Amino acid sequence: MTASAAQNSQLPLRELVRGRKVVALVGSGGVGKTTSAAALALRLAVDGQRVLVLTIDPARRLANSLGLSALGNKETPIDLSSLRARGIEPRGQLSAMMLDLKTAWDELVRKDSRSPAQAEAILKNRLYQTVSTVLAGSLEYMAMEQVQRISASGRYDVVVLDTPPTSNALDFLGAPDRLMDMLDNDAMRFVLGPMLKAGSFGLKLFALPSSIILKTLARFTGADFLRDVADFFVAFEGMYEGFTQRAAQVKALLASPESAFVLVTSPSALTIDEALFFHRALSDARIKTAAVIVNRMQRDPRAVGGAELAADLVEALSRAQIPDAPAAPAALHELGAVESSALDAKGGELLSARLARTLLEQAALADVDHREVARLTAALPGVPLYVAPRLRRDIHDLSGLWQIHESLGAF
Amino acid sequence: MSEGDISERGLHTDLLSRRLLVVTGKGGTGKSTISAALALAAARRGKRVLVCEVSARERVSELFGKPPSGPEIRELAKNVYSVHVRPPEAMREYGIMTLRSETLYNLVFERKVVRYFLRAAPSLAEIVMLGKIAWHAEKEFDRGVHKWDLVVLDAPATGHALALLTVPRVFLSLVSDGPLAADMTWIQTLLQDPTRTQVLVASLPEEMPVNEAIELRAALCKEKLPLGPLVLNAVFQPRFTEAERTAVARGGPMLSAAADAADGHEARAQMSVQYEKVLRDAIAAQSAPGQAAQGPLLCVPQLFERQFGLNAIEKVAHALEGAL
Repeated sequence: MTASAAQNSQLPLRELVRGRKVVALVGSGGVGKTTSAAALALRLAVDGQRVLVLTIDPARRLANSLGLSALGNKETPIDLSSLRARGIEPRGQLSAMMLDLKTAWDELVRKDSRSPAQAEAILKNRLYQTVSTVLAGSLEYMAMEQVQRISASGRYDVVVLDTPPTSNALDFLGAPDRLMDMLDNDAMRFVLGPMLKAGSFGLKLFALPSSIILKTLARFTGADFLRDVADFFVAFEGMYEGFTQRAAQVKALLASPESAFVLVTSPSALTIDEALFFHRALSDARIKTAAVIVNRMQRDPRAVGGAELAADLVEALSRAQIPDAPAAPAALHELGAVESSALDAKGGELLSARLARTLLEQAALADVDHREVARLTAALPGVPLYVAPRLRRDIHDLSGLWQIHESLGAF
Repeated sequence: MSEGDISERGLHTDLLSRRLLVVTGKGGTGKSTISAALALAAARRGKRVLVCEVSARERVSELFGKPPSGPEIRELAKNVYSVHVRPPEAMREYGIMTLRSETLYNLVFERKVVRYFLRAAPSLAEIVMLGKIAWHAEKEFDRGVHKWDLVVLDAPATGHALALLTVPRVFLSLVSDGPLAADMTWIQTLLQDPTRTQVLVASLPEEMPVNEAIELRAALCKEKLPLGPLVLNAVFQPRFTEAERTAVARGGPMLSAAADAADGHEARAQMSVQYEKVLRDAIAAQSAPGQAAQGPLLCVPQLFERQFGLNAIEKVAHALEGAL
């Protein structure tokens, strides 16, 4: 039994997250979060749950892997009937949605504002226009807000969340707080006080003997900036309550046993470091890591058995009556090989030498992956670990997603 | 060699004589490794290089086998230095520089209430970080000459990098007066000047990083940020013909491991070839007709090191130099 099969003999992930309302997949970028989220969501839907998979990533991967050409900011039902060809009868429903930041913000403002006029004032505010699209943390905030809203709607049994690839877990967990800080901030009120009290925000206010703080800040940022912040602040007046309430609900939901946080990583040392960093950040926020998924594990060719050393390979080739010769350059060129010292094609080597070298290389990659996963396991005792092999092709349909389960037996 | 080749070559040679190289791309594409390798390659040409790290965890110092540099500039290797650019310290340095008074800064900015305000004020963190990086690249002098011949910014991944690099434009659309606006003006000029700045996008021969690289380059182009080479990392070269693989696969149990390894290798090689072509086509399509392709493609081979440190950086630097 290989190491990954042994690790995967535990309770399947779908059982582990049974009954949870929110399953958030967190991890650094490029570790296969989106694919894992889609694969898990599909599995839960096939098992009979009403599932929404929510992605933040504007890339087309989730849409593609679900067989759609694009995903909008709307809950889109996915047709699972194509799985019947594989003999699978889906018992639940799967929907998918991509978070469009600007639209989501606008909707939120319209909903929480006291009047259409206030909503218009905010939507037209210059700072708002930049805040809603570029402000660091706003993506994270909106993700959390959407999850809370959708989860509370009761339309789904479970929301599977593909979180934004923040390099810092605290960004993600702290996003609602940071936004609340900005919108309902006693410090803001204090600093901008002289501007706010006047009730209008013309430049002349800066000519008044206002506080030294405001003046000094203006020397730093320019008066325009502070005025925009004040305008923004005033425009949002009265909306904090709705925001704060929802942010509190989001935090409560994430910290409750109804949510499960699954760390996703690849076996590379840097992403494992980040996964451990995420785990600590979650612990600090009193959130338990429900499971870890390690994607893209290199297959170890030695596991299938046979000759490994060049001399043995010469012998094995000879027995199989395969000529031990250099590759025909034209044939390699046909496959796309280019002459380059840096890329080191070495098609000129004998077949036995190329096979021996390739075995060594692939084994080295596998050894490094195993060493890193061992480090991860040691650092997270008691956290279930699911290992998925590096796929040898891209996934473009439900059937491909389903194969992830079949190859793993884990989700 | 055609004329087009010569102009491309010129672009390559000049890469390391820019003032600021920004390395971005999808997470996991090797941004830090490429940043470290570019710094090493430049240092080998006698340049004094500062690597600026902005992510939560420092990586470049680690690749050089050194402890994290933190907010103080530390030497990592001969002529290679690094610094961890973080909002609190950047805010302080920048504030003192702008107010020209540490006392005033301490009096106002160090107040709890103002610190709170600054933390919450939109985009200020990005502004001061970028301000510090651009200052090192352009305004830090030592006896009348630039202190750094080259600054390498190991930038965040795609979306966050774009937010960081467009902060001057966003800020200037809101604010036209004050010292910050003045600074954002020259910083934007620096960032948009192809003779001083190049943005390198890193990718891997896989669908997602490739799509993201193409979209990111289009977005950078729209922001008038100069595109440098696109770096395709972890490339595998085809090594076995179809006929060889078929024969080995049928060659019996003694050749099982070899056949599996060869299949694994060729699967990666075919993806490398496929996505290299996709990227080359995209680069050609993104370039204005009649002009040399913007920012050529540099391929870095997959490495098989068991320990990923200085030896790996040297190999990547070597591959980049070979392509430069």
